[in-house]
Amino acid sequence: MENLIVLKDIVVKFDGEQVLNSINLEIRDKEFITLLGPSGCGKTTTLRIIGGFVEANEGDIFFDGVRINDVPPYKRQVNTVFQKYALFPHLNVFENIEFGLKIKKMPPKERSAKVKEMLELVGLKGFERRSIDQLSGGQQQRVAIARALVNRPRVLLLDEPLGALDLKLRKEMQTELKRIQQSTGITFIYVTHDQEEALTMSDRVVVMKSGNILQIGTPQDIYNEPINAFVADFIGESNIIPGIMRTDYHVEFAGNSFECVDTGFDPDQLVDVVVRPEDIKVVEADEGMISGVVKSVIFKGVHYEMLVEGAGEDWLIHSTVASEPGTLIGMNILPNDIHIMDREEEPVLSEQKEDGNED
Amino acid sequence: MKISRSTAMPYIIWMIIFTVIPLILVTYFAFTDGNGTFTMANISEVKDYVAVIFRSIWLAFVATVICLIIAYPLAYVVSRASEKKQKTYLLLVMLPMWMNFLLRTYAWMTLLENTGIINRLLVMIGIGPFAMINTQGAVVLGMVYNYLPFMILPLYSNMTKIENRLIEAAQDLGAPSRKVFSEVVWPLSLPGVMTGITMVFVPAVSTFIISRMLGGGSNMMIGDLIELQFLGNAYNPNLGAAISLGLMIFILLCMSMLNQFNEEDKEGMII
Ligand SMILES: Nc1ncnc2c1ncn2[C@@H]1O[C@H](COP(=O)(O)OP(=O)(O)O)[C@@H](O)[C@H]1O
Ligand SMILES: [Mg+2]
Repeated sequence: MENLIVLKDIVVKFDGEQVLNSINLEIRDKEFITLLGPSGCGKTTTLRIIGGFVEANEGDIFFDGVRINDVPPYKRQVNTVFQKYALFPHLNVFENIEFGLKIKKMPPKERSAKVKEMLELVGLKGFERRSIDQLSGGQQQRVAIARALVNRPRVLLLDEPLGALDLKLRKEMQTELKRIQQSTGITFIYVTHDQEEALTMSDRVVVMKSGNILQIGTPQDIYNEPINAFVADFIGESNIIPGIMRTDYHVEFAGNSFECVDTGFDPDQLVDVVVRPEDIKVVEADEGMISGVVKSVIFKGVHYEMLVEGAGEDWLIHSTVASEPGTLIGMNILPNDIHIMDREEEPVLSEQKEDGNED
Repeated sequence: MKISRSTAMPYIIWMIIFTVIPLILVTYFAFTDGNGTFTMANISEVKDYVAVIFRSIWLAFVATVICLIIAYPLAYVVSRASEKKQKTYLLLVMLPMWMNFLLRTYAWMTLLENTGIINRLLVMIGIGPFAMINTQGAVVLGMVYNYLPFMILPLYSNMTKIENRLIEAAQDLGAPSRKVFSEVVWPLSLPGVMTGITMVFVPAVSTFIISRMLGGGSNMMIGDLIELQFLGNAYNPNLGAAISLGLMIFILLCMSMLNQFNEEDKEGMII
C-alpha cells in the first residue's frame, strides 16, 4: 500500500507552547488509522493540520506526494466529522448534507439522489425536513457523518465522533463506521481516547502522549507488544511492576525469579514488567509462585475483577472464578505473558524535548 | 413560561400608566378638535405633510443602509477577534455614546459650517468651500454618526454566537470565503441585521434635533413637525397627535414586515 498522507517533522506551537513535537506519520491509502491518546495529547491538532485549519510552525505535510502546507482547507480532498458535529443550525437535515454538493454546483436532481442515498446509509430516511435541533445526539452524529461522506472525499477525518453517544449506540455506530469505511474504500483518520474503540475498529493505531507519537502498529502489535509501560497501561488495564532483568530469559520481580521470552537487555538492567490482568492464573495458595490476599472482588459481567495484595504489590486479576475477599491465593504467570519494557523515565511535563528511550 | 400574576403586576401597572394611557390619549387627541368634539379633520390634514413624511422615511432609510454597510464588516471583525481585543473594540464603539447627544451634534455643526474647520482646511489645500451644513447629506451624516452603535451592538452580539467551527465546517465542505459568507455567515446573522435595522430606523425616522441642527429649515422631518405642533408656534396638539399616530402605525407596519421576513428566528428580535 502506498502512502496517501505524510506528516514530516511537524511542529505546532500555541502561544509559544509546543503542542506537537516533530510528528512523523505516514498514512496509507484506504486504511482505517486511529490516533489514540489521553485528552490534550494533540490528537485534534494533528487532525486539524491534515484538514488545513492549523498551520505547522515547522515541518511539511504531503498529500499524494504533493506538499500541501499552503493549500487552504476548502481545496483539500479531505472532509471532517467535527468533534461537536458543527451542523448548520439554519439548515435542515437535507440541506446540511447537501451543502458540499451545492458548493460544487452539482445539479439539484443528482444532488437530491445522493443525499437520499446517504440518508439511507446512515439510517435517517424520512428525516430530510427535520431541523437540526429536533435531532438526538446520535442522529446529529449521523447527519455529520453523512454530510462529510456524501462528498466522497479521499480522506475522512473523524474527531471523537462517538464521544457523546451512550454505550449501546456507540457500539452500533462503531460497526457501522467500519462497514462504511470498508465498502467505500475511503481512508479514515479517526481520533479517540477510548482504547477499546481504537483496537476494535482500526487497521493501525497511533498512540500519542503529550505531543509525541509513542508507537504505531496494528491493534495486535500495540496490545501484545506495547513499547513502554505507558502504552501498555493506556491500551488496557495492566499490572506494571518494577523488576530487574538478570540475564536473557530471566527476570526478577515481586521477590521471585521468572522465566520469560525477552532478550537483549543489559545484565541487571532495571525494567518494567507488564502483566495483563487476564494473564494471571489463580491457583491454590501453596501452588503459586506469588501468594497474596484477595482485597476485593467485583463482578464485571464476563469475568470477576479481583484486587490482590501480595509480595509488596497490588495485583489486578481478571478471572472467571471468584475468590472470597480475605482468602489467601496463589498466582502464576506463564513466560509468554510476561512483557519486559525499558523503565520509562518520568517525563518532565514542562520540558517538551523528548529524546526517546535510548538508555 | 408561566409567570404568576403577582410577579407580573408591577409591569402591568407600568404598562398601563406609561404605554396604554398615553396611547389612548394620543388617539383621543387625534380624533378630536380643540373643544373635544369628534373630527376627522386632523387625520385628513396629515396628507398636507406628505412631503415631510416621505423625506423623513427616505433620509432614515439612507442612514440605516449606510449604518448597516459600515457596521456589518466592523461587527464581524470584532466578533472574530480575541476576547481581550473584543472588549477594547467595543469600548471604542461605545465611547462616543458617553458624550451628550446634543453636544455631539453641535460638534458636527461647527465642523460642517461654511466657515467651519473642514471647509477652512479644504480652502487651505485649494478646494472648496462646500456647502455642507443645512443639506440632507449633513442630516444623514448626523444620523449615521449618532445611531451607528445601535447597529453595531446587535450585530456584534448576534455574530459572537456564530461559532468558528461552523465557518470551518463550511470551508471543510469546499466553500471559499465568498461562499462561507453567503451560505453561512449572512443567513446566521440575519436576526442581528433585523434588530439593527429596527434600532436605527425607528429613532432615525422620528428624530428632530439632528435635522433641525444639521439640516436647517428646509430639511424638516416628521419629528420636527410633531414638535412644532406641541411646543412651536404652530401650536396644534390635535394635529400633532394625528401625525404621531400615523408615524406609529407606519413604524408598526415596517416592523411587522421585518418580523415576517424573519419568521423562524425569534432570537434577537425586539418585539
Ligand atoms: N487554539 C489553541 N490555542 C491554544 N492552545 C491550544 C489550542 N488548541 C489546542 N491547544 C492546546 O494544545 C494541546 C493539544 O490539544 P488537542 O490537540 O486539542 O488535544 P486532544 O485532541 O488530544 O485532546 C492542549 O494542551 C490544548 O490545550
Ligand atoms: Mg480533541
